[in-house]
Amino acid sequence: MASISFRDVTKIYDGADKPVVPNLNLEIADKEFIILVGPSGCGKSTTLRMIAGLESISSGELYIGDRLVNNVPPKDRDIAMVFQNYALYPHMSVYKNIAFGLTLRNVPKDEIDRRVHEAAKILDLEHLLERKPKALSGGQRQRVALGRAMVRNPAVFLLDEPLSNLDAKLRTSMRSEIARLHRRLDTTFVYVTHDQTEAMTMGDRIVVMKDGIIQQYDTPKVLYDTPVNLFVAGFIGSPQMNFLDVTIAAENGKLYAVLGQDKLEIPAFKHEALKPYVGKSVIMGVRPEDFLPFDQATADNSLSAKVDFFELLGAETNLYVFIDEKKVIIKMPSSMERPTAEEIKVPVEMQRAHFFDKDTELAICH
Amino acid sequence: MKMKTSRAVLLTIIAIIIAAYVLVPFVLVVINSFKTQAAIVQNPVSAAGASFSQFVQNLNAVVNNKNFVFWRAFGCSAVVTVISLVLLAVFGGMAAWVICRNKTRWSTVIYMIFISSMIIPFQVVMLPLIATFREVGRFVGLGMNGTLPGLIFAYCGFGGAMTVFILTGFIKGIPYELEEAAAIDGCSPEGTFFRIIFPLLKPTIVTVTILNGMWIWNDYLLPSILLGQSNPNKTLPVAVQAFVGSFVKSWDMILTAALLAMIPMIIVFLLAQKHIMDGMVQGAIK
Repeated sequence: MASISFRDVTKIYDGADKPVVPNLNLEIADKEFIILVGPSGCGKSTTLRMIAGLESISSGELYIGDRLVNNVPPKDRDIAMVFQNYALYPHMSVYKNIAFGLTLRNVPKDEIDRRVHEAAKILDLEHLLERKPKALSGGQRQRVALGRAMVRNPAVFLLDEPLSNLDAKLRTSMRSEIARLHRRLDTTFVYVTHDQTEAMTMGDRIVVMKDGIIQQYDTPKVLYDTPVNLFVAGFIGSPQMNFLDVTIAAENGKLYAVLGQDKLEIPAFKHEALKPYVGKSVIMGVRPEDFLPFDQATADNSLSAKVDFFELLGAETNLYVFIDEKKVIIKMPSSMERPTAEEIKVPVEMQRAHFFDKDTELAICH
Repeated sequence: MKMKTSRAVLLTIIAIIIAAYVLVPFVLVVINSFKTQAAIVQNPVSAAGASFSQFVQNLNAVVNNKNFVFWRAFGCSAVVTVISLVLLAVFGGMAAWVICRNKTRWSTVIYMIFISSMIIPFQVVMLPLIATFREVGRFVGLGMNGTLPGLIFAYCGFGGAMTVFILTGFIKGIPYELEEAAAIDGCSPEGTFFRIIFPLLKPTIVTVTILNGMWIWNDYLLPSILLGQSNPNKTLPVAVQAFVGSFVKSWDMILTAALLAMIPMIIVFLLAQKHIMDGMVQGAIK
């Protein structure tokens, strides 16, 4: 069991002019399930590989537990890793794949046998132990990769986009399987993904990264409800948050977000933060589910929109509209009556609207 | 459709002509090893006078000849071939692995040296090789000229280029994550090579071994200049030379000995045809 601590860690590749991870400071608590999430090239995999010892650290210090591991080879870090492409040894059976790490550590044969069968039972692999990886399906291969990591009882469990090669249905079931595995093993998990759904559903805390820099590090709920900047707001949530350029206006002691001919009354609890922006343009963020039913539209809570098309997803329907020539997605229950007119009024739940500074892109208030 | 058929017929005829052209010398060796010296000289392309009893007689004469110690030569050929092949497989695999994974300018240069050595004809380096071996042998305190270890060393050099060339192409296709997974599992670099990479190279190693084995077993020129005729340790193709005198050539002995020397390779070829074909294709496209 171990915590992980990055202290001013920088990674710069040979020949590169700027670091892929500049000055990273991150504390991961013991037994925590941490998700590193971000777009391609944001440095999340590099960060994970630095923990694994597969990438050298250019400067700074990395601790696993109390031990400085900058120069410790991967095999001595007490970690196990599950790779995106499974990385199962093709010439070995499932049993040998799972047992390989234990064999190299000279664990007694009967102990290896016990641990392999225990892992196989948990992962429902018992009937596949004699098969070679090529005779397994994608989901089975992924479970073997998990089993190989499990039997080692590592202090840190690293997972590098382990579900990205699986189909949507299998991904959903494996998501819960990995979450269950974390509860069962009760050890530190660090999980890399670019899929924000995986991040939101699995992690205790999420590290959102961009260009090697941590944008926000908090629980899924905090990230969702109070994103610190425009990037996190846009990255977390599916479909992503809608952004509209509005001007803040003060009228009779009230504040309004003005967009063309429409104006939206801003709730009082946001006034303090928005007062310095009166007369200025800011970005207003509204999540697709933060629109009110159409029949609740009033003069000071709705925006004029032009209907584009509907996307039926089952229980929910996504309505695509244009507001001020910007595409906006509105999530509505499929049972709700669809508007028939081309021009409609869309009421916004202003309690849940987010405001961002246009220049710094930082959140002003939520 | 008709054009397609006539094209196939034409190609088949061409293939038969080429096959016949290649096979004729082999057929002549087989026919004449069943004949007496007189019958061979009289008409070498005729099967007249060939008999199994004569073949057995020729066989006995070859195997029990005082000037041609068949089993010793066979043993020398076997030792040289087997040890060369094992060394080529292990060190060729290691070299290819490092060239592939260690992406530096130097590894590219080394790879290019390997490749360029494939296009230099043996005859060009033949004489300098003798002088170099003499000096290297003096430096390391081992006899390199006229010894089997020296010959094996030379084969490792000459066979290394093709081995590295073919294996590099194959290793490029092995996912690097396997090596990273092995490192995390606790493998040293040597352990990763022998436990993960080498077993995965098996099909290609078989191909390379067969291709190298065929020319090493059959090779005449290199052992003849490195070992020499007076050496008691000669490989089979060189030892057959014992039947070639200044004035008399014992064709019945020469051809029977040549046939005996060919038999192991014919067996290997029949058993491993598929791998040989794979090897040809790999060499062609990678």
